Amino acid sequence: MSAAAGPPPGRIALVTGAAGGLGAAIVETLARGGWTVVGATHVGGEWAADLGAPGAAAGLVARVVARYRRLDLLVANHATMAMGAVDDVDPADWWRIVDVNLGGSFHLARAAAPALRDAGGSITFIASEWGITGWPGATAYAASKAGLIGLTKALARELAPAVRVNALAPGVVDTPQLRVDAGAAGVSLDEIRRRYAAAAPLLRIAQPAEIAEGVAFLAGPGGAYYTGQVLSPNGGTTLA
Amino acid sequence: MTGSATGDAPVVLVTGASSGIGAATARRFAAAGYRVAIGFHRGEAAAERVAAETGGRSYGADVADADAVARMVGAVEVELGPIAVAVCNAGFYEERPLAEVTDDLWTRTLRVHLGGCFHVARAVVSGMRDRGDGSIVTVASELALIGGEEVAHYVAAKAAILGFTRALAREVAPRIRANAVAPGAVDTPLLPDRDRGPGYTDTLPLRRIGRPAEVAEVIFTLAEARWCTGATWAINGGAAIQ
Repeated sequence: MSAAAGPPPGRIALVTGAAGGLGAAIVETLARGGWTVVGATHVGGEWAADLGAPGAAAGLVARVVARYRRLDLLVANHATMAMGAVDDVDPADWWRIVDVNLGGSFHLARAAAPALRDAGGSITFIASEWGITGWPGATAYAASKAGLIGLTKALARELAPAVRVNALAPGVVDTPQLRVDAGAAGVSLDEIRRRYAAAAPLLRIAQPAEIAEGVAFLAGPGGAYYTGQVLSPNGGTTLA
Repeated sequence: MTGSATGDAPVVLVTGASSGIGAATARRFAAAGYRVAIGFHRGEAAAERVAAETGGRSYGADVADADAVARMVGAVEVELGPIAVAVCNAGFYEERPLAEVTDDLWTRTLRVHLGGCFHVARAVVSGMRDRGDGSIVTVASELALIGGEEVAHYVAAKAAILGFTRALAREVAPRIRANAVAPGAVDTPLLPDRDRGPGYTDTLPLRRIGRPAEVAEVIFTLAEARWCTGATWAINGGAAIQ
């Protein structure tokens, strides 16, 4: 991204799930575009937060605003994922996925809304192709990601015109998460990559940086007239 | 055929069936010869009346409680027979600005709406799989498709139901089907008075709110549509033409 397309100096972005493959790419892409980026993770460091825990999202946002005195962009990218048959999964495990992915994002948005309103900022929720298409063994994950798409539309209406709210629903991205899918399918990492690639009209899976470019676009001047929308970088898997 | 259902008749479980869309759905299935299980939480007296009217039985359970739902499903299957159709309809509607959606309201909304689908599905799927047939219909909302102001919690929960239903449909196929309906403003106790007047109805292409029986008809048809799974049928007077 050219410097000209970036935000004015001193704009603050909060990106959750920053330790993951996609989150790290979002942090890097935004930083390269001129954003000051706070990357929050669940694994420690200054901005650690377990977003499934009550109060964690509000605490994280409060720390960011206390440090930087403003917040211009929230990218709710964190997620947890486990496969399990709907009638076999432990309900507590099932709800953990919904509470982290959807609940954590909601709590972040609620906490960040006042600062984003002051700044005329925006929110991008990272949803998923599976929220649109569903996937066997992924009822909780699909529910959480479809819920984010609903949340996007509701908050886009409620927070307009001050705050824009959009979502990205990526297809399969080449991240360590693929190991979970490979394990669930009982195949090698290369085989799961090959299967996913074959299912997309573009015959490949996405690289994290490609998805991150979409995040930067929605947050930047090119995205200024988008709100309540879902961009679906997925290689064509949801053509309809 | 109300009251004529026999032990051989298929059984439908409808949650949230003490009033509104749920009660109308119970009546529609009863009219087609089903034995109906009237799920309720707080409206026991109303549920008893719907049960009497439909020749069914009422079953109390908080659908937010996975164990309570499992017990309810167990009782229905013992007393009425195997559940052929489950309609996950229980819900409530409460408008709140984002800043006033408390943690409790958020969690309760997710547990009742989405949990009401997950908890019922997890309890009925294994029996349906054993019998090689079954149909699950979840009740979402037009707001899941188009959003709305001061209902972020409700919209998120209803949209989550759509994702859940699509994943479920793929998972339990080919013997079991799972579909969703997304009703618009319907004349039920949940509908705010604001949405009954011309200020709202004039914005609808069909110029009126829906009747519970109209939604029940769609739910019934969808439940029996044997080549339909993972679908969302919108019924909203044209509120969400997209």
